[in-house]
Amino acid sequence: MKKVFFTLCGLVMFLGAKAQVRVGFENNSQWYVDDKKIKIDEFEAEDRFRTNSYLKADYDWKNWSFGAQLEGYEPKAILNYSPEYKGFDIGAIYARYNNRELGLDVTAGHFYDQFGSGLLFRAWEDRQIGINNAILGLNVKYNLLDHINLTVLGGKQRIGMGFDLSDSYVFGGNAEVDVAEFFKFEEFGLQAGLSYLGKVEKDKDYIEEMNQNLSKMQHAFSGRVGFDYKNFFGEIEYVYKGKDALVESGVKGNTKQDGNALLFNGGYAAKGTSFSFNLRRLENMAFYSDRVLTANVYNRGVLNYVPALTKQYDYSLQNIYVYQAQYLLSTFETQEKIGEIGGQFDFYHNFEKGSTFGGKYGTNVVINGSYWAGLKPELVEYEDERQIVKTGFLDFGDKYYHDFGVEVRKKWSNNWSSIFMYLNQSYNQKALESLFETIKTNIVSAEATYQFMGDKSVRLEAQHLWTKEDKKNWMAGTLEFAYNANWSVFVSDMYNYGNDIEIEDEEGNITKNRIHYYNIGASFTKGTTRVSASYGRQRGGLLCVGGICRYVSEAAGLTFGITTSF
Amino acid sequence: MKAFYAFILLFVFSGAAAQQKDLPSVTLTDLDGKKIDFASFAKEEKPVIVSFWATWCGPCLKELAAIHDVYDEWQKETGVKLIAVSIDDAKSVKRVKPLVNGKGWDYTVLLDTNHDLKRAMNVVNVPFTAVIYKGKVVYKHTSYTPGVEKELIKQVKAAMK
Repeated sequence: MKKVFFTLCGLVMFLGAKAQVRVGFENNSQWYVDDKKIKIDEFEAEDRFRTNSYLKADYDWKNWSFGAQLEGYEPKAILNYSPEYKGFDIGAIYARYNNRELGLDVTAGHFYDQFGSGLLFRAWEDRQIGINNAILGLNVKYNLLDHINLTVLGGKQRIGMGFDLSDSYVFGGNAEVDVAEFFKFEEFGLQAGLSYLGKVEKDKDYIEEMNQNLSKMQHAFSGRVGFDYKNFFGEIEYVYKGKDALVESGVKGNTKQDGNALLFNGGYAAKGTSFSFNLRRLENMAFYSDRVLTANVYNRGVLNYVPALTKQYDYSLQNIYVYQAQYLLSTFETQEKIGEIGGQFDFYHNFEKGSTFGGKYGTNVVINGSYWAGLKPELVEYEDERQIVKTGFLDFGDKYYHDFGVEVRKKWSNNWSSIFMYLNQSYNQKALESLFETIKTNIVSAEATYQFMGDKSVRLEAQHLWTKEDKKNWMAGTLEFAYNANWSVFVSDMYNYGNDIEIEDEEGNITKNRIHYYNIGASFTKGTTRVSASYGRQRGGLLCVGGICRYVSEAAGLTFGITTSF
Repeated sequence: MKAFYAFILLFVFSGAAAQQKDLPSVTLTDLDGKKIDFASFAKEEKPVIVSFWATWCGPCLKELAAIHDVYDEWQKETGVKLIAVSIDDAKSVKRVKPLVNGKGWDYTVLLDTNHDLKRAMNVVNVPFTAVIYKGKVVYKHTSYTPGVEKELIKQVKAAMK
């Protein structure tokens, strides 16, 4: 490790002196402090101070690039990150040759890539969610006759630190053709794509014992077509995933089932008014580089990207009940599932300056909604090599979720602007989290920003959530003051004041289980450097970014972060 | 812990040595599905502002809306062009085109769905803006609070002098 480190130091210094070096650094630290209401797990409490650090450096020289990402989780990774992230090690390292004239782009080492929308394959990094599913191997891209793009790739997937790899090999190919450009259609656009991903799993003990007929090889394909004509656009994608064993408290090799997905996007986009919708049907779409990792809580070994197709909201109370895409096959008696079906829509309109609703500065309105249901599963006789759960193409089962939102943005004067938002949700907690009930919420959020003396501003945000279920009514607020372009401070709180569930504390007093999740913090920004610190409480539950969620436990303490790049 | 300090040390070393000025060669897609090489903006005679954003990023929408209000003025004065690079991935990328149109923005919008440019320019969080003049990155800034856009146009004018 030391040798590698000093070699890298030397390399960075040597190359840095010559020319184009790009560096990015990020550090997130937590110091957990127990308070009256929140205490972290006793075992975890042995390390109360934890840091996640990422240093990435890339060097460009003519058609070549070389780069590495070093990661440090010292003394331990922040709570709820995969325990596989530990110590200090290489997270990714690569060499790339990119020649535009030849249309050739070759990467050896760790790479991130995706086919189509990612339903078939996506290797990506999201530090906030703790995902790094890079493939270590070879990625070759070739551009043919300007309008045909080909990709061939293969390797092993990262499931811990950079060289902790999945036992399997994955390989695949992708072809994309800009049909309209190729045939010189001028009136409309037409693109098509075809992809393949294969996986070979290593022989394992469990295969010999009880799963004699378990195949090592698994194939998956996808195809897609996109078009646009004047202001209209649309795209359709179909994915087929070959048969694999049911994984449910262990690998069940005798029962095999395939999976598929169908996605349709469409809309109309004109200046001032736009509309779009997505429809999607998923059936048994869990796809892991090692089948034993199926449904693990850290998203290790995920080969595809199946985000919930719902809008990602800004305000804290809107993010308590967040939908997660349901793509797992489950035969547990109370939780029979095979997939999901549903859709979402968005409507955007801008009332022009000077119109009745527009006023002096214009008014911006967004309306969105979604509806998701399970596919109705039907258990079939348990036989060798047989499909075990069936469903029809449009068999809507239990409703999982819906939301409906209206957002209005308005600038009142040079100093004042505001955002108003209403959201209505229905969240089937029984189906989604194996809990008790369906939660129906109404949420109102409003914020006003007052800007003065050039770069100073005050922002006040107030929210209220009404529900008769779960933790009942909540209210929340944030006050933020930006002193100038560099300094800003905030204070926020969210409080489930309506909770009437009674609990007994350590002294034996009975109180209602209500809690303030308060936070106070400051940040300093200069150029690309940002330093932030805050103290307060973090609500436990699902933290979702980009449609992928991770569970975070309730915690209190000091949070410190730094990011920079040059 | 030792390794951690070594890590910081490497960071300082590389910081002292590093200076990224040229544009990385990364292929992005425009809203009509056409591929565009980011490095080709190096050939622009007029200044270019690159703004990394996402449909789900509140401060990004505020920044782009604030610039939209003064964009005509900026263009008349400096000829500056704004390239809005969306880092939305498959979850929300289909929102980009209707959102940009619905808001009536006149920016050149590019999609970085696989985060190739985001990685190449070491963008950790959005919003992230950069000013490019005659092929060189002359200014970079992360995060947005109201009024920050004034600094941006100041930097554009300073670069042109």
